[in-house]
Amino acid sequence: MSTTSPGAGALGLAVTRSPLTAARSRYAGFALRRLAQAVLVILLAYVLVFLVLAAIPGDPVSAQLDNPEAGYTEAEKARIRSFYGLDKPVLVQLALALGRALHGDLGISLSTSASVSSTIGEALPSTLALASSALVLAVLIALALGFASQRLPEGRPNALVRTLPTVFLSTPNFLIGLVLIQVLAVQLGLFSIIEPESAGATLFAALTLAIPVSAQIAQVLITALDTTASLDHTEVALSRGLTPLRVFARHLLRPSLLPTVTVCGLVVGELLGGSLITETIFGRAGLGTVVQKAVSSQDVPVLQAAVVLSAAVFVLVNLVIDLVLPALDPRLRPIQEAS
Amino acid sequence: MSAAVLTTGEPTAAAEAPSASPRRRLPLTVVLALLVLALVLAFSLVPGLLTRSDPAAGIPAAKFTAPGTQYLLGTDHLGRDLLSRIVHGSASSMTSALVAVAIGVIVGGAIGLVAGYAGGWADAVLGRLVDVLLAIPSFLLAVVVVTALGYDTRNAAIATGVSAVAVFARLMRAEVLRVRTSVFIEAARLNGGSGGYVLVRHVLPNAVRPVLSLAVLQFGLAILTIAGLAFLGYGDPPPASDWGLLVADGREHLLHAPWLVLAPGLTIAIVVLSVSRLSRFIDTERNR
Repeated sequence: MSTTSPGAGALGLAVTRSPLTAARSRYAGFALRRLAQAVLVILLAYVLVFLVLAAIPGDPVSAQLDNPEAGYTEAEKARIRSFYGLDKPVLVQLALALGRALHGDLGISLSTSASVSSTIGEALPSTLALASSALVLAVLIALALGFASQRLPEGRPNALVRTLPTVFLSTPNFLIGLVLIQVLAVQLGLFSIIEPESAGATLFAALTLAIPVSAQIAQVLITALDTTASLDHTEVALSRGLTPLRVFARHLLRPSLLPTVTVCGLVVGELLGGSLITETIFGRAGLGTVVQKAVSSQDVPVLQAAVVLSAAVFVLVNLVIDLVLPALDPRLRPIQEAS
Repeated sequence: MSAAVLTTGEPTAAAEAPSASPRRRLPLTVVLALLVLALVLAFSLVPGLLTRSDPAAGIPAAKFTAPGTQYLLGTDHLGRDLLSRIVHGSASSMTSALVAVAIGVIVGGAIGLVAGYAGGWADAVLGRLVDVLLAIPSFLLAVVVVTALGYDTRNAAIATGVSAVAVFARLMRAEVLRVRTSVFIEAARLNGGSGGYVLVRHVLPNAVRPVLSLAVLQFGLAILTIAGLAFLGYGDPPPASDWGLLVADGREHLLHAPWLVLAPGLTIAIVVLSVSRLSRFIDTERNR
């Protein structure tokens, strides 16, 4: 390093700036490519879900329209049929639907006749509250397990801590939810299941969702912590007499952030998928409940929109994580930028 | 295919260093796991041998009997023996998980094999397909597929298999890419082996072991997914006694007969836990 610095200094600003700009434009190119990829994946997810749902035997739209209880007039039926292009081949229907979706028109619910966007829009806040509190809880549980895995001496308690994630992952989330309701709501009265959207009920619904998810985060975190703990800088930190908590937070956790944050993005899929069962058990009116109702009434437009929206959230969260990782971890930045 | 948004979780087990002393004795937990799985296998193959009572016929007078000496796990709202229902539900729960994993291994394996070996546009197209399958939360994907196919346990198994295709495809592709550049593959080609011959005789056997270890793990996850689908009512309707369905049935009686939820729920948990213990054991043995 020292041998090259006089040369670089003699050439002045021009040399030090150009690698920096190069690195930035490289990052911009990378970000744009990732964004394009994400958009493509979301569009393809729409296509895939559409084609799979087109395989429903019979035609759910007509079945719903012809249902005498729905009470559609002939004129309304004809209008709705032409709206979905039901007289045309599947691929034309797909093109029509995709074109409309890109303009923000997701269609009309077959069972309630409300617009799909408003049906989903009403349910979304509840699911977002549930999923985000579950993620926070999951990270907290994972951090606690991670700390315990490093702090506890080798032996039974430590082995137990390291086994817990597997136990969490193996327990069906409906069992966790039902036991929490039975013990905490009914026997201890800690929260009321009559008001599913109250803070207490949300907290325990989130815990139900968080337990399996925390296991996945904890597994990755513990592996990363173990790797970091075997590095020299940790030993130096310990020999300097720093407290275990400080060593954990400053010297173990920081280098382990990279895989941990990545897995936090990946579990968003579990959170959205798991909300289906959790919301059913706790009686919350969220996206999962919307999906379940859409499935039982074969409400294709709502199901399509809800599933693709979940996929889009998942893809975008992971895109953002990918793009901000270099900011979190200096080791990912190009050398010129770090200095 | 450039590293996509979702490819960060590549299993790295194969790279782990082998552990030192070879031990002959199995760890206690592995023995327990094997016992559990052997018991469930027996439940599935010869359910009549282990319980005498008919899972579908109840004695109304004996409804909601708490677990005890007469009924080990208690009875339900129709006076049916819960243990017998769990035992008779195992075959369906196990078979559907097996079918799901088979679909994942075969379809996902084929996709990964072709993508990794052929490269070029085949890899690009299959890579996008895998990206999309990974992007849709797997439980939702299973729900969409089971909606399209119709609600029964066989379709729930297929749906669970479809939702597992992507992880197998990704792992198989990575393994094929690792193996493809080996010297012995080059030698096989130079010896005049055709593309298909080299793929099946040389690439596949060397790439398949990590995939099998993932298959065991996925078997446990498939049990959970299928139980979840059955819980939501997307499997066979009652009087079938799939484990997830038993929990759903017991849910109404949670307050006064908690065993109706706990027994089948804990059965699922113990079986899945045993499967994942076994999977981890196979993984460490392989790296030894």
